[in-house]
Amino acid sequence: MLVSALLSSCAKQPDDAIRFGLSSAPISLDPRFATDAASARLNRLLYHRLVDFDDSSRPIPSLASWEALTPVHYRFSLKENGRQFQNSRFQKNKSLSTADVKATYDYILKSENASPHRASISLIRDIRVVDEDTIDFYLDRPDPLFPGYLVIGILPAEAVQSGRKFDRMSMGSGEFSFLDWPEDGLIRLKRRSDNQIFEFIHVGDATVRVLKLLRGEIDLLQNDLPRELVSYLEKQDGHKVVHRGGSNFTYIGFNTQDPVLKIDGVRQAIAYAINRDEIIKYVMGGKTRKANALLPPDHWAGNPSLQAYEYNPGRARELLSKLGYNVDQPLSITYKTSSDPFRIRIATIIQQQLAEVGIKVDLRSYDWATFYGDIKEGRFQMYSLSWVGIKSPDIFRYVFHSTAVPPAGANRGRYNNSKVDQLIEQAEKGVDQAERAEVYRKLQEELLMTLPYVPLWYEEHFYAAASSIDGYTLAVDGNYDGLIYVHRTQ
Amino acid sequence: MIRLGIPGLILSLWFLMAVTGPFLPLHPERIDLVNILTGPGLNEALGYDDLGRPVLDRLLLGASTSFFVAFWVVTISVVIGTFVGTFSAYIGGYVDQVVVRIIDIFLAFPGILLAIALSGIMGPGIENVVVALSIVGWVGFARLARAQTLSLKHREHVVAAVSLGTVQRKIIVRHLFPLISAPLIIEATFGIASVVIAEAGLSFLGLGVQPPDASWGSMIRDGARYMLVAPHMVLAPGIALMLVVLSVNLLGDRLRDWMDVKGRSVVKK
Repeated sequence: MLVSALLSSCAKQPDDAIRFGLSSAPISLDPRFATDAASARLNRLLYHRLVDFDDSSRPIPSLASWEALTPVHYRFSLKENGRQFQNSRFQKNKSLSTADVKATYDYILKSENASPHRASISLIRDIRVVDEDTIDFYLDRPDPLFPGYLVIGILPAEAVQSGRKFDRMSMGSGEFSFLDWPEDGLIRLKRRSDNQIFEFIHVGDATVRVLKLLRGEIDLLQNDLPRELVSYLEKQDGHKVVHRGGSNFTYIGFNTQDPVLKIDGVRQAIAYAINRDEIIKYVMGGKTRKANALLPPDHWAGNPSLQAYEYNPGRARELLSKLGYNVDQPLSITYKTSSDPFRIRIATIIQQQLAEVGIKVDLRSYDWATFYGDIKEGRFQMYSLSWVGIKSPDIFRYVFHSTAVPPAGANRGRYNNSKVDQLIEQAEKGVDQAERAEVYRKLQEELLMTLPYVPLWYEEHFYAAASSIDGYTLAVDGNYDGLIYVHRTQ
Repeated sequence: MIRLGIPGLILSLWFLMAVTGPFLPLHPERIDLVNILTGPGLNEALGYDDLGRPVLDRLLLGASTSFFVAFWVVTISVVIGTFVGTFSAYIGGYVDQVVVRIIDIFLAFPGILLAIALSGIMGPGIENVVVALSIVGWVGFARLARAQTLSLKHREHVVAAVSLGTVQRKIIVRHLFPLISAPLIIEATFGIASVVIAEAGLSFLGLGVQPPDASWGSMIRDGARYMLVAPHMVLAPGIALMLVVLSVNLLGDRLRDWMDVKGRSVVKK
């Protein structure tokens, strides 16, 4: 009897865990170094940060509220909640203080530590601890967007000073504590509020992920399935699929120094030739929205009144024939994309749509490293990519300002427009948020008119879960914060 | 006479598909989003793929891709391999030593791995696949030709030709090639099968044909993602590939039996 009771309790243990299927494995759980989406999303569960964002991407207090004492001096006051660090072998009952904030940010600011997040906060000149709960940030130059840059998870100061690596462990103060990472592709976390165990399982293949969900080997998965598999899941019993619109922006980028693509008419013709409605209807998820600008219209600096380039093959042909191209004498353009099958699928459709108006597209798919390297070096005519998790409109300086050519920024198309430069600078000097938003709207209008990018769409998010899973919600940027409230109903 | 049977029929069909494919009114690249993943039916014998392109048309186009690659790789490999192997063995000495070492180095790598590395370096594209597979492929022919030549070059008819003062080139062409051709032809038939598989493998990895061109390997890769909802996408090219490779191997076997004089005389008894 006792043995059988023990056995059953042993067997039941893993059944209580909520298992989450990941399409790509996290690389590093160290918030100072993690840059990939999976790591960043898990880090949000494991660590708290000073500042977070609301649904329209305005910075809101998370660990701390702030006030700008002068344009270059911000004072942050830590709040009561979320300051208890996870207990571990190295620390017991330690509470997060301003010393930890300073240690974490000082570490990232040191150039020899080579943190990929350094560039985003390099305007910090000095960090001074006032007391346990108050800390001052001094800046090199005024930047009203500054609080929105402080989104890196705070580590304990002792841990930072010990030089310990946190890529495969964690000591955060987040809603979840780290249990173990027993093998590649399996991470176990515990929710601190009720000790619920979560297992994050990496299942790379989309079909296998769906089958595992149907067989109950995972309880929950989010995004990264072909539309056909999503509709297949929707038809199966015992599961639910929920969609919502997202903010991750997919676009076609041009090399504006290219002899052909620097002609405005060519870029406009491409914009008119792409039938986004059809692609969204047949290939993308149902909640995918057409995009006209990098920031979605519900962003605080978004522009809902932009005039879209609607599908108009006649207009595209007309623009091209003015330049001497037509279906019989097509314009040849090389189009680079990553080797991700979904991206190739979209690119192949665009290739066909462009062929119909007289642009012969030579499609080249490369593995990610080669592709990304080529894009950064400017070795491309046309490419497509997505911006993921964009919150703060400083992205415009990073992507479109003429001084932001890589490695200084991400102006990969070598776009150079003095009006845009001037609008970016003007927006940064704006006094209040409304005024800045107004300039950013004007800026996005100018960008849509001059087309350094052809905006395509904001991809949707969806999750599929066993029907016993309840309370999960999707975030606009696709993070996993919904796991804080998810529970299993019996 | 060699028995052709069903394998012969399948291979002639493959050949016919490959040769006539480019001239048929096919639309392997016509995207029709309405038909995405529609299964086989009356309008379209093999259904549509993940972009609404007809699978049958793409299968025919893929046949010519795989035939083109197999033909060129085997031809280049046979020519280079035979040439290098025969001359190296005939000349002997240091030249032979060096050639043997080079052959050993190539054979030390698993063939497909070397091909993956080479096409990775040269970049994706079907021409590069031909080059990569030829670089890997000639070695087998060279080794075979060399071994055959070594055993033949001391035969009486060769010694006689040498003593009569025949020029070297003539000896190789007139007295050696006819005798070493039989095993090389058989090796070449097996080569076709392995090249078809290798091309499919490289295309499966994304190193072969570039979209929107079709190859059986890339069709299998695309189809595998939809196996759950549209099995026809992976079954059609998969079965086609299996039939061709099986047929080539069967015919190669029969060709070997037929060309083997000893075996034939036994059968006749």
